[in-house]
Amino acid sequence: MADVPLTRSERRAQRRIRRFDNPWLNPKLFWGVGLLVAIVALGILGRMFWDPEMVFVGSGLPKLPPPGFENLRGQTGTFAHPLGTEGSGRDMLALIIIGAPNSLYVGLLASLIGMSIGIFLGFTSGFVGGRTDDVIRVLSDVMITIPPLLILVVFQSAFGDVTLTLMALLIAGFVWQSPTRLIRAQVLSMKQSGYVQMARLSGASTWHIMFREMMPNLVPYLFGSFIANVTTSIVTAVGLEVLGLGPQRIPTLGRTIYEAINAGALIQNLWWWWGIPTLLLAVMFIGLLLINLGLDEVSNPRLRKLSV
Amino acid sequence: MNVLTIEHLSIDFPTTKGVVHAVTDLSLSVAKGRRVGFIGESGSGKTTTALAVMQMLANPGKVAGGAITLVDTDILTLNEEEMRRTRLSRVSYIPQGAMNSLNPVMRIENQLWDGITAHEGTTDRAELKRRSDGALESVGLPARVGRLYPHELSGGMKQRVCIALGVILTPDLIIADEPTSALDVVTQRHVMQTLKDVQARIGAGLILIGHDMGLMAQSVDELAVLKDGELVEHGDVRQIIENPKHPYTRELISSVPLVGGESFLDDEVGAPPVNRGKPGVPLLEFSGVSKTYGAVTALQPMSFRLDGEVPKIISIVGQSGSGKSTMGSLMLGFNPPSTGQVLFEGQDIATMSAAQGLEFRKQVQAVFQDPYACFNPFYRVNHALKFPFKQFGYAKSEAHLQEKMEEACRAVGLDPGLVLGRYPHQLSGGQRQRLIVARALMLSPKLLIADEPVSMVDASLRASILKNIYDLKDRYGISILYITHDLATAYHVSDYVIVLYQGHIAEAGPPAAVIGNPQHEYTQLLIDSIPWPDIDRPWGTSSTAAEDAARLDRLAKANKTEFRGAVQGFELEIG
Repeated sequence: MADVPLTRSERRAQRRIRRFDNPWLNPKLFWGVGLLVAIVALGILGRMFWDPEMVFVGSGLPKLPPPGFENLRGQTGTFAHPLGTEGSGRDMLALIIIGAPNSLYVGLLASLIGMSIGIFLGFTSGFVGGRTDDVIRVLSDVMITIPPLLILVVFQSAFGDVTLTLMALLIAGFVWQSPTRLIRAQVLSMKQSGYVQMARLSGASTWHIMFREMMPNLVPYLFGSFIANVTTSIVTAVGLEVLGLGPQRIPTLGRTIYEAINAGALIQNLWWWWGIPTLLLAVMFIGLLLINLGLDEVSNPRLRKLSV
Repeated sequence: MNVLTIEHLSIDFPTTKGVVHAVTDLSLSVAKGRRVGFIGESGSGKTTTALAVMQMLANPGKVAGGAITLVDTDILTLNEEEMRRTRLSRVSYIPQGAMNSLNPVMRIENQLWDGITAHEGTTDRAELKRRSDGALESVGLPARVGRLYPHELSGGMKQRVCIALGVILTPDLIIADEPTSALDVVTQRHVMQTLKDVQARIGAGLILIGHDMGLMAQSVDELAVLKDGELVEHGDVRQIIENPKHPYTRELISSVPLVGGESFLDDEVGAPPVNRGKPGVPLLEFSGVSKTYGAVTALQPMSFRLDGEVPKIISIVGQSGSGKSTMGSLMLGFNPPSTGQVLFEGQDIATMSAAQGLEFRKQVQAVFQDPYACFNPFYRVNHALKFPFKQFGYAKSEAHLQEKMEEACRAVGLDPGLVLGRYPHQLSGGQRQRLIVARALMLSPKLLIADEPVSMVDASLRASILKNIYDLKDRYGISILYITHDLATAYHVSDYVIVLYQGHIAEAGPPAAVIGNPQHEYTQLLIDSIPWPDIDRPWGTSSTAAEDAARLDRLAKANKTEFRGAVQGFELEIG
């Protein structure tokens, strides 16, 4: 072929084909990771370039709007508090710089612990079978039907003030069921597959079959399940915080919304107080959703499209 | 009159590595009432051509040139709605896996009615019922089948329901894509006869897609041979089989092993067989072994002693569900027997210590049916060869391991440079199965269980892979248990044949007696059902189906065993 310049549609087709070749290069994954990285960057850069001490009460005048807006008292916003302040004069920007990474941290930690429990129980159940399998299966089925928020409300009220890590641990107790079921099903079907039988014929130990033969093939599923769990964990954590439970002294997005609702921010039209944390949560969830869709494309080649 | 005319058809698949020409410049016509066979290996473009006629090419495939005319309609100019109305009513498609084509939650008759309603809008229940019953009867099924769900039918019945569905609107053309490849020989014969009868009755053209030259010879009028997307030979089936012009056609015909025919194995014997047995102790022994799953008896009690001193190939043949694969998994210790003991060199494999277990694994290896599943998709193919070699402590160093791998690859006719270091999906089915044979060769066990090793490999490669397996016995002194449904290959490779029917030994003895001159009615039935590339051989008529069913019923009750002589070093008995 000569050096005929490609038309636009041809170039687009080529890009699609490249993307088809390397599924990790898909735009959904790219944007999803980008949004989450932006939130983490907000936490890191914010601490460097903004004063995190302003999360304390009385850092400024209370209920100041962002610059260019006016609150009910007729005060206009200043650039000292670019996102305004909340009811007790805490700076909103400092609040989200500290709060947003906290919410993400609870989600990731809870999901990580939940996945580890799920991997362990799923493999045990699928491999050992018999009575052990029955117990684990029934346990995870029962746990799925119990609404986690109900139990957690009771737990958290009993614990009173909890740390972020303790909250993550409590939530982890409710996100191990679906990875357990997923891995158990995969292990059961893989156990019959030719390559596992070949490995048994080769004198492989159970450990080798689990972690060297089966695990690598589970990676896409594990990733997908992990991300879905992060979403569930954040939703649960925020749910508890909005109810006024969870950590009392550490700023989180959920707690900020709780305080806003409590102080009547909705009727006083203090939209920046509840609106900004909500927006950040939305960005976080959209990021996680995009990552999940992107991973789906990686693990399921049938979703990849060559033509539009 | 031609029901289908294809002129200069080309089909392209754009991929990352450039455009793949799946079909190139294919011209062909199908006359009314004629049966045309499309034969070729996987990837030769036969199914792609058929799907183009249905306008059902998988994305991103597209017709790049040429014309397809159905009676007088140019298919390629039809829009989506017109094509929808053409499918089933004028051209119907009978798919390969009937099991997966029927909706599991709908009664059979509702699925038949769906087709009628979608095309004619008829909704009168009595009328629909009359037509669905008629269609079922035309394929030899009683009308009550219409009230059943797919899971209540056997594989052969489901395939016949698919045929009924394909002919219910009396199309001009029927395309049957390997309609019998998932069925065993006896059922295959019934389904093919049904298809031929129905097609002759409605006078439609038929395209039969397949890779089995024997089946083609006994079923079609014309044959089209495809290779790499090109039509290499087309003509009357008799002329092609008796006087093939293209070398590829000749290869296809000669690759079909015949009972009593010329052997595909070389006569020259390699090195004298190595004696690797332990004197006085049988290599493998079944003592009163049986296997039941709940109320189902998979294997009735039997005993045998295989003396490994002179390596042998013992074939176990039977239909699906005869218990032959159960025998294989009992021997590998994957399944415990319900009664009796499986002994390896005098040691019960159920009670082995860890060290004895490893020794047993070293000495008893297997080749499985599905070469696609035997490699972990995550690793390069080397992993499958390297891992057991290291695990069993044979590897002295990396270099020694590499040298052994290359040597084994060359011994099975693979170029190590091309094959090693690739991922399994980059290799063809034949290459993968050879690698599994190479793996067995590297480990050089005393006993190899080969469970349908060639049934999923293209016909032209079967003979050479079987030759590789045969060489294991001759050159390396490995005893082999060959589990298969293919009597013709068993005839050529084995020293002793056991025919199983419903877990019971029907006939056993040297292959020349058992397969060459069968005495048991079941063995006779199996042999009659095999399609051969011989046009003049009678292959039964439509009435045979009912007779065969009655015979099988009677045989299941009789439980008779024919012993047809013994060979040195193998003793078999019932109980």
